[in-house]
Amino acid sequence: MTQVMKGVRILEVAQFTFVPSAGAVLADWGADVIKIEHPTRGDTQRGFINLGGMKVNPNRSPFVEHPNRGKRSVGVDISKPEGMAVLYELAKTADVFLTNYLPNQRQKMKFDVEHIRAVNPKIIYARGSAYGNKGPERDYGGFDGTAFWNRSGIASAMTPKELEGPLSQGIPAFGDSIGGMFIAGGISAALFHRERTGEAVEMDVSLLSAATWAAGTSIDMGIDSGIIGGNTMPRSGGNPGNPLMGNYYTSDGGTINMCTLTPGPHIRSFFEHIGAPECADDPRFSTVEELMKNWEPASDIIVKKFVEKPFLYWREHLRTYSGQWAPVQTLLDVATDEQALANDMLFEVEAADGGDPIKLVRGPVQFDGAAVETTRAPQASEHTELVLMEMGMEWDQIEKLKEIGAIA
Amino acid sequence: MKPGTKLKSSVCDTEVMVIRGSNVDVACGGAPMAAERPAEAGTIDAAFAEGTQMGKRYVDEAGTVELLCVKPGKGSLAIDGVILRPKDAKPLPSSD
Repeated sequence: MTQVMKGVRILEVAQFTFVPSAGAVLADWGADVIKIEHPTRGDTQRGFINLGGMKVNPNRSPFVEHPNRGKRSVGVDISKPEGMAVLYELAKTADVFLTNYLPNQRQKMKFDVEHIRAVNPKIIYARGSAYGNKGPERDYGGFDGTAFWNRSGIASAMTPKELEGPLSQGIPAFGDSIGGMFIAGGISAALFHRERTGEAVEMDVSLLSAATWAAGTSIDMGIDSGIIGGNTMPRSGGNPGNPLMGNYYTSDGGTINMCTLTPGPHIRSFFEHIGAPECADDPRFSTVEELMKNWEPASDIIVKKFVEKPFLYWREHLRTYSGQWAPVQTLLDVATDEQALANDMLFEVEAADGGDPIKLVRGPVQFDGAAVETTRAPQASEHTELVLMEMGMEWDQIEKLKEIGAIA
Repeated sequence: MKPGTKLKSSVCDTEVMVIRGSNVDVACGGAPMAAERPAEAGTIDAAFAEGTQMGKRYVDEAGTVELLCVKPGKGSLAIDGVILRPKDAKPLPSSD
């Protein structure tokens, strides 16, 4: 992929997925991302034993690879003043300081914006948090499961009222990965602004703000109308007012999602494809006005047609339908989805254990139609000596810092 | 050997950078390592064939020697017949 961030250095003091995934996106785009990790513990993310109920192989952990590919890891104990001195030296060489540490920790260990700006006045200071950098809860930690999914109202809107309790997020790091991309976008704009004006900004993205943005249409409508629309219980059939919208079950338990928002131009193509061409000439369905009025009998016919054939039949057969639809796939189906692969949505990195290459999904942005080329996530502290020597530190000094445990 | 020098295995692809320790004889796959690879690779001793991993640090029991693997291979790193263990991060156990 075109290295649009080539020459930009990001100094990352962050853990888990949300904020590190911003570093990963910028690394995919060519930035030199230096990840600071604790010399003995590493990023807490490395400690995940289970993920989605499955055991994790620490050498092939998607929880480490997804948010850390393409970075270099430097082991520094930032709770020691000697370690903090190393961090300041690195900050002098960076364009962006990226962190998700809480305000009280940044103050206590002295790497808040004023401390970092004291050594590098032109550095962009980027913060990711659970609930924002202002207000009474600025010092509360959180995860996407708390701030993004539950507190935001998303869980409530996603859950049909008939269920006894709210649905859980279901996908690990779902809100984190969305929010991380927002941070990467904000950093890109901040770099552009600095390039044009010479001014360095502070920037914030919270998991709560990522969620409220993603759910913005519903929230804005709800404020205006007092009503929040949400999910209804699954069923086979058309939506009230538009039978070309809705899920339809196939003979083998699969589901086809019809999503033709403007059905008028597609009436004939649709009924031909489901094997009921006569419906296109039926006065109840032949014009958009009549179809919308008679959505119920139309839906009944469509339900019966879809359940006659299996999922794979419809997946192939509907390719020539003129309107919009989708097969309801699994996340694993996407890994072999022809269209996803044609757009380079997966790429490979070499595995640290010498095993099969690890397949990873790319960020959502592609430059010049080119695939991502990068390296695996670093081992904890892997590049400590290399980066410090590159910065001009002598070996004697490196040994001294190792002795006192200030670096890995 | 001394910190900063690179050592190559004579029986597999392994290469390491010396991070800590000096004047110690390091073996890989049961055969001594050196600055240069021999023209023809020897055979790996089955007792020293656990393999090395890219980016991992290997240390002796006493913590006086630390080697950073810069190229992985099939042999195990050892000093005086004792296999060096990877210096793994000890993160706090977590689960979702």
